[in-house]
Amino acid sequence: MKKLASILLVLTMMLTMVSGIATASAAEVTTFEFWTFNELHVEFYLKMAEIWNEQNPDRPVAINPTVFPYDDMHNKLLIALQSGTGAPDIVDIEIGKYANFLMGETQLVPLNRVVEPELDNIVKSRVDIYAKDGNYYGICFHVGASVTYYNKDILDAAGIDAASIVTWDDYAQAGRTVLEKTGVPMCTMETNDPWSFWQMLTEQGSDLLTPDGQPNVNTPEMAKGLKFYQDMITEGTAVVAPGGGHHAEEYYGFMNAGGAASVTMPFWYMGRFTDYMPDLKGKILVMPNPVFEVGQPRSVGLGGTGTSVTNQCKNQDLAVDFLGFAKLSEEGNLKIWEIMGFDPIRKALWTNEELKKPNKFIDYFANFPFDALIQVQDEIPAIVVSENLPKTMTAIRSSIMYRAFEAMEDIPTILAEESAILEKTPN
Amino acid sequence: MKSRKRIVSLLLVLLFTVLAAIVLVPLYAIVLASFKPATEVLRKGLNLSIDWPVMSMDNYRFLFSGTEGYFQWFGNSVLLTVVQTICTLLVSAFVGYGFAVYDFKGKNLIFTCVLLVMMVPLEIIILPLFQLFMGIKATLGITLIDSFAGIILPFIAQAMPIFFFRQYMSGLPHEFVDAGRVDGCSEYGIYFRIMMPLAIPSFAAMGILIGMNSWNGFLWPLIVIRSQSKMTLPLGLASLLSPYGNNYSVLLAGSVMAIIPVLILFVCFQRYFIEGMTAGGVKG
Amino acid sequence: MNATVQHAAKPPRKPTNETTLRHFGYNQKLAPYVFVAPFIFTFLLFFLYPMISTVIMSFQNILPNQVEFIGLRNYINLNDPIFFKALSLNLRYTFFTLLILIPMPMLLAVLLDSKLMRARNFYRSTLFIPALTSVVVAGTIFRLIFGEMPGSLMNQLVVLFGAKPIKWLKLADTSFIALIMLATWRWTGVNILYFLAGLQNIPRELYESAEIDGANAWQRFTRIVFPMLKPVTIYVLTISIYGGMAMFTESYMIFSGNRSPNNIGITIVGYLYRKAFEENNMGYGSAIGLALLLIVMIVNVIQLYLNGTIRREKKV
Repeated sequence: MKKLASILLVLTMMLTMVSGIATASAAEVTTFEFWTFNELHVEFYLKMAEIWNEQNPDRPVAINPTVFPYDDMHNKLLIALQSGTGAPDIVDIEIGKYANFLMGETQLVPLNRVVEPELDNIVKSRVDIYAKDGNYYGICFHVGASVTYYNKDILDAAGIDAASIVTWDDYAQAGRTVLEKTGVPMCTMETNDPWSFWQMLTEQGSDLLTPDGQPNVNTPEMAKGLKFYQDMITEGTAVVAPGGGHHAEEYYGFMNAGGAASVTMPFWYMGRFTDYMPDLKGKILVMPNPVFEVGQPRSVGLGGTGTSVTNQCKNQDLAVDFLGFAKLSEEGNLKIWEIMGFDPIRKALWTNEELKKPNKFIDYFANFPFDALIQVQDEIPAIVVSENLPKTMTAIRSSIMYRAFEAMEDIPTILAEESAILEKTPN
Repeated sequence: MKSRKRIVSLLLVLLFTVLAAIVLVPLYAIVLASFKPATEVLRKGLNLSIDWPVMSMDNYRFLFSGTEGYFQWFGNSVLLTVVQTICTLLVSAFVGYGFAVYDFKGKNLIFTCVLLVMMVPLEIIILPLFQLFMGIKATLGITLIDSFAGIILPFIAQAMPIFFFRQYMSGLPHEFVDAGRVDGCSEYGIYFRIMMPLAIPSFAAMGILIGMNSWNGFLWPLIVIRSQSKMTLPLGLASLLSPYGNNYSVLLAGSVMAIIPVLILFVCFQRYFIEGMTAGGVKG
Repeated sequence: MNATVQHAAKPPRKPTNETTLRHFGYNQKLAPYVFVAPFIFTFLLFFLYPMISTVIMSFQNILPNQVEFIGLRNYINLNDPIFFKALSLNLRYTFFTLLILIPMPMLLAVLLDSKLMRARNFYRSTLFIPALTSVVVAGTIFRLIFGEMPGSLMNQLVVLFGAKPIKWLKLADTSFIALIMLATWRWTGVNILYFLAGLQNIPRELYESAEIDGANAWQRFTRIVFPMLKPVTIYVLTISIYGGMAMFTESYMIFSGNRSPNNIGITIVGYLYRKAFEENNMGYGSAIGLALLLIVMIVNVIQLYLNGTIRREKKV
């Protein structure tokens, strides 16, 4: 035993020496300071740096990550970029905040060199939303395609086949049956976020902003969408999500106990199911959204986080190359699915058999989630992004959804008042 | 007459016992919650029911396992609080003494500035203050960002303690100053050897207030601190709340653990604290 | 100050380093400036300079490397419904906190100070404990107590009285109650201490002579205690007005973020924060901040003028 130990010791020492020599002779490591608001993103980038260093031993990189609270990270970044110093090299910027960083003279580095060659292979809208004047400044983690998750058990109890729900009329009708047969509502609505509502606008060809970027809330499309859900709430086939949104613990508890038959959320919501609603394992179907009229786009890319390189980075070329590798390459996109369960922006990957390899997402859902995605792959319009988006999102999140679904106010009145307020609110 | 007094006395004790109980209910509730699974608390709401089957030490076990860097934040907060309290006390008392004992040209103007500082919300000067820090780094090479010095320095001569010490020290007998001068003490000797020791009770009171503010400080540390390893407890606790998965188990147990040191300090020093506050006499 | 006593030091014979230093130490004209120097230094560098920048910024539209003067536009923009909503919340909050947090602690302090009170220290300290918790922690506790699920403490209470569970933090009135209760919980003990401090300054003889004159408890309160507490009351009033108008963290923690349904929890500082940092409009944020400063100063000046402090304070 003693002998074995001493052999091991010698071996370890030799290995240490060898590796010591190896590092000494290798190229100098460039360390990038990286800010994010999501721990999972750190795991992803550390993994990608590892793979990058294997493939590019002459240009090794190291990631020095810091995780801050969501709002605080963006505020700190804003201050650092405004004052010209103190920013990290690489940073995650959430879509709702991104417009802030495109105002004025952009303090981010264009990524066209790595993005343009890949444009045909990816969902283009996921880089368009981070672009300004023909320059791409960020690359998204995911498509964020809006889908509808159905609780198969509840639908079965009501005798409904999820695949038969094609239009919102079907959906409302199914809701009545579900309520009658099982006593639970068809769906829940958020009052503090737009994620389960936005598809209502885009499928009708509208959006929160006009194509030229002005707030666009007082529209017939908005009124129609709000009215649809408000009517469901009146009927009892929809309820306001407990806790006010689909990220509240109260909602997780409610849904996990079979509180509602479905929920419309983006693809990235899968992780919330696996982490917070363990009792629904094997019961959840991932399906395309219903539409008002057949032929309308059944999905829309929502949410997202663009990773960008700041102009305060010392080795911008290397940072851009590394970012392109991490976010655009096949390896990178596969890791995005494996680690985070997101729908990767590289479309070509969706049919890759690698995706079917069992992981916690494949194990959880009742069908193969990418089937829904492939069905709608040409029906994922981009949302309009401009410097008016932050304040318009604020209006949606703090007033419009609440007044329509919680206070149940008259919709034309809400929209007229809120659009008047938006007009008066400076950016 | 005597029995009437006894009844009044009993009623008073009764009244204050009820009040004390009401005051302690929220704290009792959070202590209780820290022994329950976080999801249980959030899904049902915070209440006072004791539910033995679900109660456990799990939150604390998780906290002490160190996965969230809680104790690093804790240590940072202790260090920052101690250093900031001592520095701010010494400097503010020094300044307060100047206002209390001397008459000098411009005194009213400067004291008006003290009052002005008390009334300006920190939020409105954050951006220029941050730009100033960056400027200092660029021109003088002194790094204030991401350092505790940067948290402490702008508020080392705080308006509220200066105001307080001015009130307190102007209440001390002035004869000591004159006697000190007769004995050949320098102006600063008088302060350090005679007046400061006399004002010790007020140091305890102000120390607790400054320490509390420092321990609980949020906005300015948030802007100054960049690396996770230097985060203070409130920053760390707040960072557990995110739209991408809240870590309530650490938050609940961590909140309880954040109250405890302040509570211990208060219990130890409360005599000085209350004497200092009352003797200091806010004279308006 | 009556510095009639001459100091004992003799003029130095030789201007060595040591003696100049000694001379410096005994210079009574210079000393006060040395004492207040740390304040002047931090005031100029860390307050006045940023303050002037803020004033300049309030006339600008600020984007990285694209700063332009836009005259009064930021101030004209203050005619903004959400700003008024925030202003209204802070005004109501200030009004109600003053209404509760001055008379109640004053009364409790008088009772605590009564000769008949037992275990005074214990109760005084217990009532102070909430002030030791940070807003982050206190806000978390109150958010959960006022949770919308039927199992939350407040909902258990209302159910006990036969009402239905309430979504406390979704409605303007009930969430306002939560904010006021949080403030009452945290500040009652602190204000009691201030008033107790004031009570120590009342000479015992005043009480005794009043008692001999046959004044009852109520008369003693209105004729002696209340007038003698006036300076403390003014101090508490002044800092409470500032605290109420600048209230932000309480709302931030109660609504777990700077967003509340239909903006029922929006505060002036919260709106400043939203505009300046969340929506990248530093110029407008600066204008909001200066408007707040102006309002607080006007309210306080009126208040100090009405109760006569300003005229007296002139000779600080």
